[in-house]
Amino acid sequence: MAEQKETQLSIEEVFEQLDEMLMRLEAEEIPLEEAFLLYEKGMKLLKYCDSAIDKVEKKVLLLQENGETYEF
Amino acid sequence: MMERNSKNIYSVGQINRYIKNMFAQDYMLRSVRVRGELSNVKYHGSGHIYFTLKDDTGCMNGVMFAGNRSGLGCVLKEGMQVIVNGNIDVYERDGKYQLYAKAIEEDGKGALYERFLAMKEQMEEMGMFAQVYKQPIPANAQCIGIVTAPTGAAVRDIIQIAKRRNPFVQLVLYPAIVQGKDAAASITAGIRALTAYGVDVMIVGRGGGSMEDLWAFNEPEVAQAIFDCPIPVISAVGHETDTTIADYVADLRAPTPSAAAELAVFEVRRLLDAMEVYKRKLDFVMDQNCRMMRMKRLGYQERLERLSPVRRVQDNRMRLTALEEHFSEAMEWKLVGVRHRMEILIEGYKAASPLNMLSHGYSYVENAEGKVVKAAEDVKEGDHLQIRLYKGQLETVVERIIK
Repeated sequence: MAEQKETQLSIEEVFEQLDEMLMRLEAEEIPLEEAFLLYEKGMKLLKYCDSAIDKVEKKVLLLQENGETYEF
Repeated sequence: MMERNSKNIYSVGQINRYIKNMFAQDYMLRSVRVRGELSNVKYHGSGHIYFTLKDDTGCMNGVMFAGNRSGLGCVLKEGMQVIVNGNIDVYERDGKYQLYAKAIEEDGKGALYERFLAMKEQMEEMGMFAQVYKQPIPANAQCIGIVTAPTGAAVRDIIQIAKRRNPFVQLVLYPAIVQGKDAAASITAGIRALTAYGVDVMIVGRGGGSMEDLWAFNEPEVAQAIFDCPIPVISAVGHETDTTIADYVADLRAPTPSAAAELAVFEVRRLLDAMEVYKRKLDFVMDQNCRMMRMKRLGYQERLERLSPVRRVQDNRMRLTALEEHFSEAMEWKLVGVRHRMEILIEGYKAASPLNMLSHGYSYVENAEGKVVKAAEDVKEGDHLQIRLYKGQLETVVERIIK
């Protein structure tokens, strides 16, 4: 799903890229082909962000001496 | 002012009162701190505490009334070194002055504080507090370690605030002993254990307490562990006004455990909202672009259609049809006109027709040779004449000629 280089991106970097893309998309003279490509890339980035944000609620873990954890 | 005058003889009470007034007006004696050793400590049944404060320069009596007992930092014992905070006033009746204590604290604490300052200075010189060693706190920590007591307000606050800001963050708690002689070792073990476990950021701290309670966080062992820790450490020791060495060494100092949670955990809702906004913007802009393109295309289409040869052929065809109709119409008119004229002529001819005249009772006369007779002199008596009537003819003979 995400390209290799994108797995290194932080959420801030993704947002920066999205800002840039939006600016170019909003420019009047952009050819339609390029607009589609940018849109597609933007959607991919958002999807990547979405999956990078963990949506599973977690219980607090208690760390024991032996390195094992159990729920607090 | 008193004068050596035998006329002015005062009572004991008056003198005592005078002295009391002097004391009462003295600015310094109204709030003073006195250091000394306690002796003759008596906890009275009424709740008041009586004592003597002494050092090698002298001694004085003191009392702490029951109402001020909250100012007591410890149990008063014989021989204890203390600092008494209060005012010096006169007990008029007995002609004695004494120290009325509002607060008493152990002077040993002074020594503790000296130790703290000495350690702090030493470690500062070693460079352990230097900004250059401090790591930034990660913006999107997914796994957060906590070294603190497993019970109490501190851990509860941290967990509550962390969960509120990001319910999906993983919290890992190392339950540590946070005061007493085992605390330093426990906290150090906790920092190492969480480092081994692998968290993104660590909160090390405890709730409020006295300097002794917080002392573990001044221990060099703990300071070293924090300094060496490769994972960013946020210190959260005691209240806002408490500062321990751990606070200086840490990568970030939080005034309270709650504040630590706010610094460590990012608000996931803001992130999700920001993404939502991006998505909507992308959709909107894309929609705009498509719309604009469609309109452009429509414009071109219209222009092309107008210039298209098909159009021109259609135009011409329409013109042709129109012309044809015109022609037909014109022809029609012409014919109608001609027909009309003809009819008029026919009528005219009919009217002028000799047969018409015949129908009106006129007749024409033919002689025997078949020639039409117009004049009477052209015939003689006895000639045979034919009279052509409208209907039929008559054979006649001329009887008489009238000129």
